[in-house]
Formats: sequence, C-alpha cells, structure tokens
Amino acid sequence: MTHRPFSLRVLDAIEAVRVRLWPEAFRPLTPLAFLLPALILTGLLAAGLVPLLDASFRPLDPATFRLAESYAAKNYITLLTRPVYGWIALRTFAGAVIVTVVTLILAFPYAWTMVRTRSARLRRCLLSALFLPFFIGQVVRAYGWLIVLGKQGLLNAVLASLGLPPLSILYTYGGVLLGLVQYMLPFAVLMLAPALTAIPKEIELASASLGATPAATFRHVVLPLARPGLVAAAVVVFTLTLTDFAMPEIMGGGSNKFVASAVYDAFFQLADPGLGGALAIALTLVGSLVVGTALAAFGLGTLGYVQERKEAS
Amino acid sequence: MTTNMSATLSRRRLLGTATCAGLAALPLASRFTLAAEPTKPKELIVRAWGGVWVEALEKGVSKPFRERTGIAVRHDLTEDNELRPKIWAAVDQRRTPPVHVNWDTTTNATKSALRGVAEDLSDLANLKEMLPAARPTGFRGVPLINMYSYVYVLAYRDEAFPNGAPDSWQVLLDPRFKGRIALYDDGIGFQPPAQIAGGGKLEDIPDNMEPCWSFMRKVKAQNPLLGEDPDFTTWFQNGEIDLACTILSNARAARQNGIKVSWTVPKEGAKVDTDSMWVPKGLPENELYWAKRYIDFAMTREAQQVWTGELGLPGLRPGLTPPADLVGDPAYPTRPEDFARLLSVPSPVLVQHEAEWSQKFNEIMQG
Amino acid sequence: MKRGLLPLLLGLVTILDVVFLALPTLVVLAASFTAGNIVTFPPQGWSLRWYADLVQKPEFLEALGRSLEVGVVCTALAIPAGTLAALALARFRLRGAAFLQIYLLLPFTIPLVVSGVGLMLVFGRLGWLGSIWPVGVACCVVNLPFMIWAVAAAVNHLDPDLENAAWNCGAPPAHAFFTVTLPAVMPGIVTGALVMFILAVNEFLVSLMLVDARTVTLPVLVYNAIRSIITPDLAAVSVVYVVLALAAIAALDRLVGLEIFLKSKQS
Repeated sequence: MTHRPFSLRVLDAIEAVRVRLWPEAFRPLTPLAFLLPALILTGLLAAGLVPLLDASFRPLDPATFRLAESYAAKNYITLLTRPVYGWIALRTFAGAVIVTVVTLILAFPYAWTMVRTRSARLRRCLLSALFLPFFIGQVVRAYGWLIVLGKQGLLNAVLASLGLPPLSILYTYGGVLLGLVQYMLPFAVLMLAPALTAIPKEIELASASLGATPAATFRHVVLPLARPGLVAAAVVVFTLTLTDFAMPEIMGGGSNKFVASAVYDAFFQLADPGLGGALAIALTLVGSLVVGTALAAFGLGTLGYVQERKEAS
Repeated sequence: MTTNMSATLSRRRLLGTATCAGLAALPLASRFTLAAEPTKPKELIVRAWGGVWVEALEKGVSKPFRERTGIAVRHDLTEDNELRPKIWAAVDQRRTPPVHVNWDTTTNATKSALRGVAEDLSDLANLKEMLPAARPTGFRGVPLINMYSYVYVLAYRDEAFPNGAPDSWQVLLDPRFKGRIALYDDGIGFQPPAQIAGGGKLEDIPDNMEPCWSFMRKVKAQNPLLGEDPDFTTWFQNGEIDLACTILSNARAARQNGIKVSWTVPKEGAKVDTDSMWVPKGLPENELYWAKRYIDFAMTREAQQVWTGELGLPGLRPGLTPPADLVGDPAYPTRPEDFARLLSVPSPVLVQHEAEWSQKFNEIMQG
Repeated sequence: MKRGLLPLLLGLVTILDVVFLALPTLVVLAASFTAGNIVTFPPQGWSLRWYADLVQKPEFLEALGRSLEVGVVCTALAIPAGTLAALALARFRLRGAAFLQIYLLLPFTIPLVVSGVGLMLVFGRLGWLGSIWPVGVACCVVNLPFMIWAVAAAVNHLDPDLENAAWNCGAPPAHAFFTVTLPAVMPGIVTGALVMFILAVNEFLVSLMLVDARTVTLPVLVYNAIRSIITPDLAAVSVVYVVLALAAIAALDRLVGLEIFLKSKQS
C-alpha cells in the first residue's frame, strides 16, 4: 500500500466526491437517484402529452381553426362512432401481434447462430448485417423494396424465370407486415443475444448427456432460460409496431394505414390537434395496457430483479 | 475587429442599396423611401416544395431577389402541412416563426389566415398588376396572394395507351387497369371530376356529393394506390401504374427525366386550383418589411415569367409567355374557353369542407 | 440425422434472415452508382456523378455535420441516463416497478408523430428551439428504452455475488461501481450506445418538428428533398451513411473487439 496506481487514485478522488455529495444517510434514496436522469428525460415526453390530452377534449372550430374554449367528448365520440377508426385500430393491433410472433421466430435462430458460432468472422458479418439496414432512409428504403418486390421487380423476374406466376406483395397488408418484420428484426436480435449468451453451454451438454434430444433440450432448457430476452424483444417489437408510421406509408400503397398514420392525418392534413390528440391518447393507453398485462403474465423480461430470478430458478 | 466588421457591413449595405436603386423591377414606392428602408436581415427563409418546385423558385425569384437586394434566401423544404403546426405554435408561444415567407397551397394558406397568423399584404405595389384571382375572397385585408393556377390532370403511361389519350375519367374503372391507378392519399384534386363522372353537377358541391362518393366507391373496387407526388413518378417509372390524377408539374418533370408519361384533361374537366404566398405574424419589423418585398418581387412580370414558366403553370400576372411545350395545352389554361373546361371550387368551400371530404375519402379507401 | 435437424433449421433461417435484411439495402447501394438520372436497377451504366454532386452541395455536408452532432449529444446523454436506470431497475427492489416500466416505455407507446409535436410544444416553452442540441435530447428521449434494455440485459449476467464480494472486501462504493459493475455491463453499454447513435443520426420524424432551415439534419433534408422525382443522389446519401457506419463498426472492433456486444470480459 505504499504506492497506489494512478487509476486507483482517480477512484479515490471520485469516492471522496461521492461521500461529500451523497452521504450514507442518503443511501435509501440511491435507487431514485439512479433513475432520476431517465425519469426527467421521459418526463419531457410526458409533459408534451399534457397539452395534447387537453386538446383531445376540445372540438375544432372550422371558422377560426382554433380549438373550442370549453371541454367536450366530441373527438372521442368520433373515434368510437366512425367505423373507419375501428378498422384502422383492428388492422394495427392484429399487425402488431403477427409481426411480434414472426419477428421472434426469425430472430431467435439469428441470435443463436451469432452467439454460438465459433467463427469470429461469421459473427462479425452477422452483426454488420444487423446494423446496415438502419442507414437507408425512409424514402430510399421504399425504393429498395419497390425494386425487389415490385410488379416488374427482382422477385417477380426470378419467379417468371422459374415459370411461376408473379406475386403482388407490395402495397398490400402483407407487404406492410413484411416491411415491419424486416425493420424490427435487428432490434429483436439485439434484445435476444445477451439473454442467449447467458445460457451456459454446459447446461445443454448436461441435458444431452442425460439423453434428451436436441428438440427436448431446446424446449425444456434453452427456451425457459431465454425467456427474459424473449419478453424484452416481444415488448420492444410489439410497442414499436403498434405505433409505427413509416412502414405502412412505405409498403401500404396508401390504403393500409395504421393508427399513427391516422394521427398524422389529423394533425397535419386536417389541422385538428384535438382529434389527433384523442387518437394518440387512446393508442398510448392501449399500448401501455397490453405491455402491463404482458409483463404481469410473463415476468419483467430482462429488467427483472436479479435476485428474484435466482429464487425462481 | 468590431470596427472592421461594421465597415464591411455598411459597405455591403451600401452596395445593396446601390443595386436596388438601379432597378426598375422594384416598385416605385420603395425607391422613394429608400432612405427609410429598414435594416436588411442577413437572410430570408422561404418555405418551398423540393425538386422542380424549389429549382424553379430559386431561378425565377430567389436568385434575382438576392442579386438585387444582397439578402441571401434560404429555402426551407418542410412540407406545407408539416410546417403549419410549427408556425401556429410559434405564434401561440410568441416566438419568431420558422420562415419569413410561406409558399403554400391556397387552401392551407386560407386556414392559417382564418386562424389569424398571417400578415396583411394589401399594400404590395405589384398586387394591382395581378389578375383578380390573385386576391383571396372573404377577408377584409389580403392575408395571402395567389401566384399561379395549376390543374390536376389525368396522367397516363404512353405504353398503356397506344391509340392516344383516354377521353374520360371513366377509364379509371376499366378492368384492364385494376390495381394500376393512383390518386392522392387524401383524394385531393379528385372530388370535382369524380362528381361529374358520377353523373352529378359541379354546382351541387358541397351540398349533394353522392355522385362523387359513388364514383369513388367504384374506383376503390379497382384497388387504387394512394400516394404523394414523388410516389406517382416512381410508380410510373417502375411500371406499377398506368393512370394517375396528379398535378401537371409532376407529370411534366417525370417526362423531362425520360419517363414516358403524358397527360390530358378529360371531357368531364379537371380540377383547377391555386398556390399562394403569405408572411406569418411575429417577425421583427425589418424582417417583415423584406419578407413582403420578396412576395412583391415574386409578382413582377420577369419573376412570374421564369418561375411559373419553369413549373409549366400559368401565372396570375397577365401577359406571360407560355413555355413552348405547353402552348395550346388544355392543362395550361390561358384563354376563357380553356378555363371553361376546368372545374373550380371556391376556396371558402374547400377550406370549410376539406377535412370532412378527406375523412369521407378515408372511410371509402381504408374500409 | 435427427440430431442434425435442429442446427440445420437454425442455419437455414439465419441465411434467410441475412438475405431478407440485406437485399433492399444492396439494391439501393448499387443504384447510387448509376450514370442515369433516375434510380433504377440494374443501374444504367456506372458512374460516380451523384457522389460528385453531393460533395459539391454545402448544405449536404452541413446537414451531415449537424446529424453527427445530434448523434453525439443523444449518445452522451443516453449512456449515463440509461445505464443508471437499468442498474436501478435490475438491482434494487423497487416499489411500483411495473408502473415504472410502463412509464419508461412511454417513448415506444407514444407514436413518434405525437412525440414530435409534444416535444416541439415543450421545447418551444423552454425556449430551446433553434439549436441543434435539443434535437439530440429529443432523439435520446424517444429511443431511451433501447439503452435501458440493452444495459439491463447485461446486468443480468453480472453475478451479484461478485459485487457483494467487492463490498465485503471493503471496497468503497465508487470503486465497486467502476471496477466491478461497469466492466460487467460494458457489453450492454456499447450495444446500447451504438444503437442510440445510429438511430439518432437517422431520425427524421421527431426531428422534423424541431429543426428549422438553419438547423436541418441530414435525414430531414433527405425526407424533404423530394417533391416530384427521386434522384440517385439520395441513394448516394445512404451509401455515405453505410460507409460511415462500417468505419465506426471497424473502429469499434479495433478498439474493444466486436465480441464485446455479446460477452463481458468477466464472463
């Protein structure tokens, strides 16, 4: 202890500052202090929701394009009575469920291969392939899909050369879901990979040596251990799909709108922030409710309290 | 350093004033008040649409304005719909608005004028020289000025029509074109011809639009694609569609880029509309002055000639020469008989009913 | 045979995924090298003219610079905020944890269009509009759950016994935090930070409401640039982005090794 290395002295200095700023008496407040920056940042968003919540209870006056002074439920009644909003809500919700399931099915093998491959080069390639699609902007991405899936696109050229009939995927509901799955896949893989890394290889080997088939090992050993990652990926993919705007616009050809597009139309085309606010509040409530229910049913995902997981296993 | 800077500044101002004074294009009134001219801002921000639209504005208005006044012009390419809430919020929160001049559709500009966020432009000298259609109706002052008109034509892919242009909007219902037609995603520009094609009368808008909606329902059965301007070009280029209801300028830009597209005004007619310019409230005095000068300059004959000529749209200043490729084109109306073929809905009707029509359109198309 | 079936299936799906992820991207990348005026595939002759075009446009380079600034601000905020929040959620028994989680997921359950309008109103009140850094703050806000989840996933690898051991050996909290906790969750921090940065330099929907003509970022510039026809310079922009991304990934690989995405040094 005669000579402390530089790094340790830096830590000592940090510790000294910490003791001064955060005395032992504050100890019970430490979790709150840790959460505070994130709570404040998210609070900016929550603060932005307040004027919209207020607007959602005020109908638009078309003579002045201002919202009424007094409160009324007109915007919410419009949502409930106009069948078009019911259709859009159903389309969005069903889409979010389908996209979540398909994305998880596609993401699991990818994450598995990436985590378990012995080849560093393959792992590098798989990681790069995850990040690249992000860099193609919305408009240009639409162009890429048109070239691949269009009536005279690559896919149909391949099908024609095989003597198969052409497929029209683009500008249909199926096309929207396809675009969404492609967009969500990297997020899902990134959520799953750490959970899979945490599964020790030895457990699988042990299971196999006890005579379990790979399928049985997968079902009874791997899947339960991967559950926190699966829950995390599902929550992320579901909420992002539920509120997505870009993909239905790009891949839907205009007649496959999701709720976010209806919100956009209300704000920007109709100049009616009241109706837009009502739609947004309804969507946010439904999304939060579903997430809350899912977390209650399947556990808190990767955010679960570690000790709890230990007790359970 | 400070003295240096102020020296350059005043020299630039002097140069600017000198160029200004030598210009016949600027209104007489401003020449007499040169001494009292407010301080020039470093730059003006003018909202514009991208592509051919901003290129035409730069060539016809912004560049000559910059040369004359020494004031740089920066273009803000935010969509008109997306800029509107930003301007409204700025005025509500008493902030400086994000643009000096908003180049906008007349319908959107009217909404902002009704909201009371537009400055009065009635004292602009060149306004007197414009056609009566340049002035908006239903306002005490002049919160916006219409600059040119444009037609929502029926654009078609040449290959699909070897025997020449289709003569009626009914062609949209031809089973041959199922899944191969396109409209704007809020149905804009399509209601008036649909009203006629559905057997109704233009005068019945907005009171009885059932013919329009029944025609739209038949069109829906044809699985139309719904999009914005660039989508139409892309779809034509990639052989996704054969027919679209779009603004002439977009079809013309596509053709100028080598895509084989033509357009027509069918026998039922086509909707004619106008775009305008206005200045949002909340600018500092001197910037307001120069923003108004910009709009005044946009109304001069030389600016109108180049700007609207590049766009292929008839300006609202009399005596302009039409672009060579559009002489006699019914989609470039100049004579009274041209206008007689076109369908015009009064701006107050559009503003009051647009939201409702758009919702109705959505109900038909999203169902 | 039976034993090989599952790995085979996993491999096949992975290959399908790679094709699915890459195809639209590669097509656009190829289209940017066209000699023609419009985006087509295969390109009409090869040339670099659209890149020469880009380099000559000062507004493009300025917007790129601003986007990088947005990315840096966003990431710099997200790393401490997300890491601390994830540690708090995963390591402490909190009252109302489910409610907290739903609150912290608001950025995902509120549509981006609404976040944009809401943040414009809030930033307008605070007098923040007109600069670039608030756009970075906004990008951090709307993507923060990614950072939290990424770090939380790594916290769960962290063996609590190790941290306890450090405490029991008398290491002061700051020492334990910087020498045990942080290194253990580093893979999560790196993954989260990279995702935050990438999403921030590509964000356009929220940014659209927060920028003006003087502070426009590259994705907003691209989104707005088109009114009539899509020219290949927009595809070229994508390529510039992809090249930057590859450079960043390569640099990361050199510095810390890409393995860090998946494993902490301790496990």
